Amino acid sequence: MRQSAKGGPDDKVLAANAITKRFGRTVALAGVDFCAREGEIHALVGENGAGKSTLISIFAGRLRPDYGHVTLDGAALGAGSATAALARGIAAVYQSPMLFERMGWEENLALGGFSPQRLNLGTVVADAEALAGELGFTLPPRGVVVERRSVAERVRLEILRALSFRPRVLILDEPTSVLSPAELQPFLQLLRHLGNQGRVVILVTHKLAEALAVADRITVLRHGRVTAERQASLTNEAELARLMMGEDIALPHSTTVPSFNHLAAAVELDKVTLKSGERLILDEISLTIAAGSIVGVAGVDGNGQDELVEVMAGVRAPTSGSITVHKLDGDSRDGLAVIPQNRDVDGLILNLSLWENLLLSRSVRERLATWHGFIRRSQAAQLCQDLMRRFRIRGSGPKALAGSLSGGNRQRFVVARALALAPAAIIAHDICRGLDLSAAAELRVRLREFAAQGGAVLLISCDLEELLALCNRLYVINRGRLTEVQRELPDLVEIGLLMSGASQQ
Amino acid sequence: MKLAVLARPLAALAIAAALISVILLALGASPVSVFEALCEGAFGNWLVFTDTLTKSTPLLFCGLAVAIAFEGALWNIGANGQLLAGAMSAGALGQKLGGWPHAVATPALLLAGAGGGAVWGGIAGWLRARRDVNEVIGTIMLNFVAGQILSWLVHGPLIETSRAYPMSAPIAPAAEFRLYFRPSRLNLGMLLAVAMAVACYVFLYHTEKGFELRAMGRNRHATAFFGINTGALTVWAMTLSGALAGVGGASHLAAITHRLYETLSPGWGYEAIAVALIARLNPLAIVPSAVLFGALDNGAQAMQRAQGVSPVLVQVIEGLVIIILLVFDTSAWSAVRDEA
Repeated sequence: MRQSAKGGPDDKVLAANAITKRFGRTVALAGVDFCAREGEIHALVGENGAGKSTLISIFAGRLRPDYGHVTLDGAALGAGSATAALARGIAAVYQSPMLFERMGWEENLALGGFSPQRLNLGTVVADAEALAGELGFTLPPRGVVVERRSVAERVRLEILRALSFRPRVLILDEPTSVLSPAELQPFLQLLRHLGNQGRVVILVTHKLAEALAVADRITVLRHGRVTAERQASLTNEAELARLMMGEDIALPHSTTVPSFNHLAAAVELDKVTLKSGERLILDEISLTIAAGSIVGVAGVDGNGQDELVEVMAGVRAPTSGSITVHKLDGDSRDGLAVIPQNRDVDGLILNLSLWENLLLSRSVRERLATWHGFIRRSQAAQLCQDLMRRFRIRGSGPKALAGSLSGGNRQRFVVARALALAPAAIIAHDICRGLDLSAAAELRVRLREFAAQGGAVLLISCDLEELLALCNRLYVINRGRLTEVQRELPDLVEIGLLMSGASQQ
Repeated sequence: MKLAVLARPLAALAIAAALISVILLALGASPVSVFEALCEGAFGNWLVFTDTLTKSTPLLFCGLAVAIAFEGALWNIGANGQLLAGAMSAGALGQKLGGWPHAVATPALLLAGAGGGAVWGGIAGWLRARRDVNEVIGTIMLNFVAGQILSWLVHGPLIETSRAYPMSAPIAPAAEFRLYFRPSRLNLGMLLAVAMAVACYVFLYHTEKGFELRAMGRNRHATAFFGINTGALTVWAMTLSGALAGVGGASHLAAITHRLYETLSPGWGYEAIAVALIARLNPLAIVPSAVLFGALDNGAQAMQRAQGVSPVLVQVIEGLVIIILLVFDTSAWSAVRDEA
């Protein structure tokens, strides 16, 4: 279902020339040339830290390149102004949703292009619903503030808002990572529809299969340089992966069940229920995570996963039920480490340095970095240095601001922090989202290692492939209710039905 | 790197001075003599210099109070009211300390001041933590309340014995701060303020609680997610902030005024916001910042005497300095935005 290349070399819509950008000592982009043509869907692929997000930020006017320029339809694009870029017709949707959390979706969309003159929520809602219908999305009920909605819904709202400006160029940064399988196909179709309308769609993704399915041309970035540009019809996953990584890698298709010893239970949830007013968010969740095992919870975002994580992290008290984290005899492991889904909001403080972000972890503070209420800076900095080396986190050092790291490196840091002082159990929520293949594979290896050494893992994810590759036991969560599914020879149809809430036992 | 940090405030001062010169020329005054008078009035001789320090001390205490709260993203506009609350507590207690030795009366007075300010700050903190009352509104309202209570006290219960003037009786002599190097008014308060600045710096950057506060100020979500009780921390931080301002009030009372009266504070709590922001909330930098503003305040009157220029002009200078410094700090000048 790939489209043939449209137009000739003369109808370049968006072109970039010799773009260079540095952040302090790190060179994010070095002499990048890029061009996207009329009606083309152009995929930008690369590992995390390759420079993709930086490049599209420059296109969208958010960042100013140190050198080089961008042209739209032949005319130079003023750098460093997102509003100017938007006025010229370049709209972008980024990885971390940027919505007004305390407003409802209709108000958020009103700030899009739906009602340019007068604020008429009625027309905004009508237009938005029409557009959403085309996309195959359902909009949430009116009047509910955005902060209560799941990450997936927020990304969809952002895409709607970007489209409301009727842009010439639409840039999407890892949009499919939060879409459920049912939403993926209509989304890819919409992209093709947009391409047919003569728009340019630039898709940043690490999912090579999707890029090949929908894009016309693919540009591969590696360490800030363009390594190749290919017609989608003339290449394949293996070649792209090689160009991205610089070496041949094996795509992870293994579904072997890792072995584990039946040790004592590390974490027990007993009839955990959470109610918010009338709404039942978690429904008598009972779960035992044995030491040395990885328990997976599959489900579409918004079915109680966020709240389950909050309850287990101790941020929210359950209405009833209990959670126990056992300390095994003779084991120095202790405590529960959480890796939240929304790492920039819940996991990191972007304006503080990396070693200071380490201090957020209670076990780091209690066991290593404090002395009678005073911070032991050298200990914390040393630990940070060690972690950066062990987990291959690219950044200028422990004193670097967390915000200066790329998305993938931030994720590595958050995982490193969780694993740093040998917790008894880890709760990981969507940790591989937005990561490229090798980084995701690396993370999975770490989780397996952790479990093999006796730790317990609760992995909450909407990526079924990932869950099947890692977990010993598998549950599906739907509307706050857990249902266990058969792990050996899993019935994918049954799982899909449970995830969509169709079959209720 | 250290020199570069100084370059900005100095450049801002230079630009402000240049702009003021233009205004002065237009008014027919001589900029050079006006600035000369300003400097004379602030640093001209030993007495005047110590007077500058005296005027800087409440600014320093309040600046620290503001900085502590602001680091936690708690917008404490109430340092003035907290200072008055501290002064009132100290003023009330001070009258009863007649028989006590100086070594006991002094700390007692300061503790009373800290306590009064702490309560005043704590109320606003509690309102924010438990009732989600915006602390900007809370602290400003409490400023008014403190002002009214002071007014009531000096007209009523604490009015001085002859009942002729709206001010309180003086505090007991044992409770007064000793003045060093008479006739200068150097006193314990300044040393205490500088010591507090160092303590605040250590607190913010070297203690766990200070870290929690700074973390909360930058990302409340993540801080709460990691199990830190942001509500309790809010109350705690506002209490500490109020206490600092309160000590400032008590100290000024004990050293300089010895009595309570309505115009005790010429708006130090508000000026302190500028003091703290210019120093970018760094407690050690707040010391020179407070001295700068104290110098401008002190020099203002000399400027009027010498050149006939209204002391209000100093407020114009201060305002210009603030604006220019803020302009220097924006991302228009550097790629700061890109690093964020």
